[in-house]
Amino acid sequence: MNKVLLKTENLSKSFSNGGELQHVLKNINLELYEGDFTVIMGASGAGKSTLLYALSGMDTPSLGAVTFGDKVISDMSQDGLAVFRREHCGFVFQQIYLIDGMSVTDNVLTAGLLVSKDKKAVVRRARELFAAVGISEQTQKKFPSQLSGGEAQRVGIVRALINSPEILFADEPTGALNSQTGLDVLGVLTEFNSRGQSVVMVTHDIRSARRGNRIVYLKDGVILGECDLGKYEHGDAARHEKLSAFLRDMGW
Amino acid sequence: MGKTFIIARSNMRKAKGQTAALIALVIIASFMFNLWLMLSMDYKANFDRYHDKLNAEHVTVVSYGSSAPVEDFMTELLDGDNRVAQYCLTDCMFAVGTFPYNGGVMNAQFVFTEKAAALTRRIGRAEIVETGAADSGVYMPMIYKSDETAVGKTVEITIGSRTVEYDVCGFFNSVMMGSHNCSLTQIILTGDKYAELEATGYASPSALCSVRLKDKSINLNYESELKARIAERFNDARMASNCYDIVSQSRYISQMICSGIVSAMAFFVLLIALVVIASNIVNYIQVNIKNLGALKAAGYTSRQLVTTLLAQFLFITVVAALAGAGLSYCVFPAVNAMMIAQTGIPYAVKFLPLPLLISVAILCGAVALVVWLAARKIKRIEPIAALRQGVRTHNFKRNRVPLESTVAPLNGALALKTTLAGIKHNVVVCITMLVLSLVVVFSGLMIENVIVDQEPFINLIVGETSDSCINIRSEIERDFLSTINADKRVQKAYVYNSVNVAHVGGAELMATMCDDFSRVNNLNVVYKGRFPKYDNEIAIAAKYAKANDFEIGDIIEITAGGKTYKYLISGFTQISNNLGRDCLLTRSGYERLGTLSDISYYVNLADGVDIDAFNIEYKTKFAGFVNVTVNMQATIEGTGSVYISLVTIIVVAILILSALIIAFVLYLLTRTTLNNKMRDYGILKAIGFTTKQLILQTSLSFMPAVVLSTVLGLVLSSVIINPLTALFLSGIGIVKCTFNIPIAFNVAAGFGLIAASFALACLMSLRIRKISPKNILAAD
Repeated sequence: MNKVLLKTENLSKSFSNGGELQHVLKNINLELYEGDFTVIMGASGAGKSTLLYALSGMDTPSLGAVTFGDKVISDMSQDGLAVFRREHCGFVFQQIYLIDGMSVTDNVLTAGLLVSKDKKAVVRRARELFAAVGISEQTQKKFPSQLSGGEAQRVGIVRALINSPEILFADEPTGALNSQTGLDVLGVLTEFNSRGQSVVMVTHDIRSARRGNRIVYLKDGVILGECDLGKYEHGDAARHEKLSAFLRDMGW
Repeated sequence: MGKTFIIARSNMRKAKGQTAALIALVIIASFMFNLWLMLSMDYKANFDRYHDKLNAEHVTVVSYGSSAPVEDFMTELLDGDNRVAQYCLTDCMFAVGTFPYNGGVMNAQFVFTEKAAALTRRIGRAEIVETGAADSGVYMPMIYKSDETAVGKTVEITIGSRTVEYDVCGFFNSVMMGSHNCSLTQIILTGDKYAELEATGYASPSALCSVRLKDKSINLNYESELKARIAERFNDARMASNCYDIVSQSRYISQMICSGIVSAMAFFVLLIALVVIASNIVNYIQVNIKNLGALKAAGYTSRQLVTTLLAQFLFITVVAALAGAGLSYCVFPAVNAMMIAQTGIPYAVKFLPLPLLISVAILCGAVALVVWLAARKIKRIEPIAALRQGVRTHNFKRNRVPLESTVAPLNGALALKTTLAGIKHNVVVCITMLVLSLVVVFSGLMIENVIVDQEPFINLIVGETSDSCINIRSEIERDFLSTINADKRVQKAYVYNSVNVAHVGGAELMATMCDDFSRVNNLNVVYKGRFPKYDNEIAIAAKYAKANDFEIGDIIEITAGGKTYKYLISGFTQISNNLGRDCLLTRSGYERLGTLSDISYYVNLADGVDIDAFNIEYKTKFAGFVNVTVNMQATIEGTGSVYISLVTIIVVAILILSALIIAFVLYLLTRTTLNNKMRDYGILKAIGFTTKQLILQTSLSFMPAVVLSTVLGLVLSSVIINPLTALFLSGIGIVKCTFNIPIAFNVAAGFGLIAASFALACLMSLRIRKISPKNILAAD
């Protein structure tokens, strides 16, 4: 078993909806391990994204605790959480969220220079990552609106990885992409995971979920079940069957 | 119309903050416009109303030490002149003297009149405005009412070396002799006190002649003509006089200065409000381009959409303008009290529809024009393109401040990117800071030259000042000079004497003579050319020279006492005392026209010398030959304190207003910036930027424009402030101002403006705290 990176204890999240309290997450106890590609699945409204935001320090839980190493991030201030996110996390969003007014390079360097003062090292790392995800030098000079969806998401992944985060959080990273570019993006994530990058991905797409080695299934704010798929290998039919069976069991 | 209203209301609801800030700016502008118009339109009219009410004269001549033949001659002249509508001759007493005023003394030419006569004169009667229980004593012009001079208290009037003390029975209003700015200051004595003064012989028995003209526009020339004709007939006739033009202008100098400053500030605030409105509209179109496209697709015409914006901003303007005008009525009683203390003429605050209408019309007109110009872009919106492309806030031409190569730290670089992407914001900031720099420099100028050191201001308004002025009879001049030149307390003493002369074919001029102008204290009186050096040279007021097409080197013919002589113009002067009807002659130059029977010497004393004691000593030493001594420093202190308090109020008001304007403008700009960058800030927070960093970035993004425009504004304003002030004071004959520019104050004020802007921008950016990355990301 790998080292525990992130742990939740009785994590609950409630929202007030028209005066009525809605319990989106209920007593979640979860451990995330170093090097894993954890996929959080569930139907729409199951609380997947809420769990991802709570795990990543983007949101604070209503009850319970989220611990990263020896740090209880659920007790941190907003600025403390910001520092936690920049130092330990990377984010890939469904809507990509690059900053329109900045070039591709600057979008990445904005995140990189926030953590490291060694500009040369950051620029070098950015170039390596751009090369790794197939973003050409020409594309690096472009603005987000001039990119295709797949290019933009690959830039998003580079931005997420620029600070070599311990965990990469991905919220439906292929949700806004067509099937081929979605596959390309998943390929990039799988590739980085194979190099040791821990990934936590929220998806409701079975094709995307197949990339993970661990599937956590959420239903009505509760972890309904988990499935260990083992390391991803392209064209592994048995793995696909195992996932399908698990999801059937979960009522998918 | 209904749809337009609904959209306008919706826009205002969506932008409550901006609407509130705009309302505040328009309220301030309207407040100042209305105040300015009330001050400038009705105050002068108020003078005329009182002039008519008291059937006041257009020309006043006091012939002092006059004898019956002079009075008879005046009667003969006036009876036979068909330009004269009415005239009135009354016995009075005349004396140059002083009395305590505002902690100093007031030096004036007093016209003592008996109460019953003063109140019943057919022309130029006085009006009692306050009276007490005492039935024996003095009535003072209402301008001199103060804590020390009040009903039930006493006032000491010094005439020559004698002092008389009177109970203050009350105060009166006299249009033509109610203030030291009128050249003649009327003092009303009860019958018994008048008889007492007459018996002492301290003041000269005189004839007060008040003339109403059929055509008042000729008053200035008529005054000189009347005096010239009397002087022609009686060489030894001594006269003091004033006329409608001089009095009506000089009594309103403070009001003119005050309304001028208020009007300038009103236009500045309006300019800033218009720039903010234009910026808001451009931003509104940018942000709402999809909605506007949708409305166009739904059938709205460009005209309807522009009308919507017009309706929205005009509604705000009208409401705010009315509120601002209302506010001006709340403040007006206090301003009015200040003005009455300056003019000495009662003014009843009342509703004035015309200034209100003009204020609202100016504001609405300006706002409508700017809205129309800024909203024209709506016409170019194609519905389909707008719906497809939505907002495009970046032109994608160039990646400014690339992070890879910039030397700036990350937050600075990101702030700079924001700065360079928001040219419209920078323009608003620049205009605001340029205007405020000018305002701050003007405030500094006033503080330095009026409040801290009054001398430059007094020099400009009064001309020449010294410590003491001693007016002596000419027959003891030699003894006086030998004594004063041997006096170790005296630094310098020089003739500085004013008499009336006339330009042949022109107006009467106040001629000031000096034996050697290189010895005077205020060398700025001649601003172009040089002081007269020889007996055939003259320096004349620039205003008069301009009106009569005179240049330096031209010849001007001057007459006095029946003699005429030609003088070469050696320079142009600026003295506001006589509203630009002045000239300078050397003493020998004047003596070609006449001789001086009384001579005024200005005396500079060593530091620490008691001026009053010095004056008393010389009065005693040359008893009977010293007509009057004046402690000029005390006089300056007395009149100056009024200006100091006025200027202090103006400066404080200006600085408060400036702070408010910066706050409003920065509020609007940061709000717009935050609205535009809400998504970006959400993303930046998600990837780890803290609230503090984003506040810093936002505030820093304004700083390049703030710093550049403040520095530029301060430098430019420091250069133009003197010419600008001169332009502002040109009405009273000032052509060139040489006020000290307080460099240290300006630098400190610059730092203050920049620091205040940064602090305010940080404060206004606190809203960033509320931006939650999760909410922004979840919203999409």
